[in-house]
Amino acid sequence: MSHIRIGLVVPSSNTTVETEMPAILDRHPSGTFSFHASRMRMARVSPTELARMNAQRERCILELGDARPDVILYACLVAIMASGLGEHTRVESLVAEQLATGGSEAKVRSSAGALVEGVRALGASRIALVTPYMRPLAEQVVAYLENEGFEVVDWRALEVEDNHEVGSIPGERVMEAARSLDLSRADALIISACVQMPSLDLVDVAEQEFGIPVLSAATAGAYSILRSAGLAVDIPGAGSLLRADAADVSSRRPISIEGAI
Amino acid sequence: MTYRLFVLDVPENVPIVDTARKEPSVQVEKLGPYFVLASEGSVEVDRRATGARHAVWYSWVGGLDGWRIEQWDSNAFRLVPR
Amino acid sequence: MFKLADKHLVRGVDHAAFPTFDPVATVQFYRDTLGFPVVHSICAAGWGPENHPDFIHFFFDIGNDDRIAFFYYFGLPAPDTSRGKGDVYARFDSDTPEFFVRSRHIALHVESEEHLLEYRRRLDASAWPVEMQIQHETIESIYTHDPNGYFFEITRALRPVTPQEDLDANLTIDALVDILQQPGASMDALLVRKAELILERAEKWEQEQATERELIPSPEGPVRR
Repeated sequence: MSHIRIGLVVPSSNTTVETEMPAILDRHPSGTFSFHASRMRMARVSPTELARMNAQRERCILELGDARPDVILYACLVAIMASGLGEHTRVESLVAEQLATGGSEAKVRSSAGALVEGVRALGASRIALVTPYMRPLAEQVVAYLENEGFEVVDWRALEVEDNHEVGSIPGERVMEAARSLDLSRADALIISACVQMPSLDLVDVAEQEFGIPVLSAATAGAYSILRSAGLAVDIPGAGSLLRADAADVSSRRPISIEGAI
Repeated sequence: MTYRLFVLDVPENVPIVDTARKEPSVQVEKLGPYFVLASEGSVEVDRRATGARHAVWYSWVGGLDGWRIEQWDSNAFRLVPR
Repeated sequence: MFKLADKHLVRGVDHAAFPTFDPVATVQFYRDTLGFPVVHSICAAGWGPENHPDFIHFFFDIGNDDRIAFFYYFGLPAPDTSRGKGDVYARFDSDTPEFFVRSRHIALHVESEEHLLEYRRRLDASAWPVEMQIQHETIESIYTHDPNGYFFEITRALRPVTPQEDLDANLTIDALVDILQQPGASMDALLVRKAELILERAEKWEQEQATERELIPSPEGPVRR
């Protein structure tokens, strides 16, 4: 029975990461997890704010390092995707360097990197996504994912500007947006490309409804954490990505009408 | 018995070799990139006559065959048979 | 079987690191006086098993993307440098010969006399003026001590290095390794052994030089054209 300490770097107004990550990982059959967050204050996504974030990132990692976590998840997704293509690799390296220089053995993951990892783990290359963002930011997210080698076949921007509001977008609104997507060519659906828009209860439901694998930034983050800890990826009710190692093989993939996975 | 001193052929060493070869008993040949100063007895080289800088003067010797360095100071360099 | 086995793959100094107890003066010396840009910094704590203060690790560019780096540990008491010799890293008693204390140092390369004199000018205008300017066999150097007491040299070549110096250096080292197999090693023993090696190898080396094909750079080290 392993206990994994997870450090989280979250945007200061974010409450969804600290809600959904424990909810997902608590379902793990054998591992136990504790969550320790440090917060990055970001007023808005602007070049100055993004620049200030470097200093904040250092402070957040310093704080988390003191708790001796096994893995740190850098959950500031927008901050990374709005900074430039491929930014998650750069930030993960800097965080890893900071930890290593101080003698920490904590692994480093990011929500942005985890999304990419999750889509690849599903073997998918054509994706659709739902985001709560204003259009220009949503376009940056699309460009970021395309730069990672995926084809974004369709996407939605719910255009909710206030982060608190994003944290209470009703699931039905997200599902409506997902239903409006043209999924005919999609291998996978990212039902929430955002760490503040709640979506945990929608993932499995959406998989049943659409017949293709569905993931969210949160489920991808959990997948990445489990892989980094060397634990079995076997979480019920949160999408097939998180059932990759499930004993019952038939539970690993949804039945697709097209039969193409 | 011929004794030999080896000196690397680089520009700073050339004035020292040229001073040494003025001794009638000293023969100078080449072996690869080394000057070979050969003689059958003792040899002395006056430092001031060479015009060599301090750093060059104390580092010009590459190898000794049969000779021993009896004196090596700011005045002179003297080789005697072992 | 190991395709990289004979390749010289390293590319210089990623960083040469030293502790400092005075980062302000260190920045004034390297960045402000010498003009070496600050290119990286890491803020970290000691998360390993040892009791360890928070620290900053910072890097100055010293040319060719090589870097000199410093560690500043918050709250770590500075050593007493009022007595004895040395720098903030290594202390020696007053009897220790100067040549030994100075033996460990960093020397940075410049391309010309003009550049050497420019760095001389910068240092002489600072709190760390040049202490000596010396011509060695093939190089000319200026020296000072940095704010941490680290002996610091900037040097230029008086002429390009020749291939025969490369051979000579290798013969010296081979002779040194040989004579250190027995007790009583001395400069005399080295010069005698070196003469033997010269007789063995010098002519052949020169023949090889004459027929050698040109070396061209490649990502895995120089290769023959």
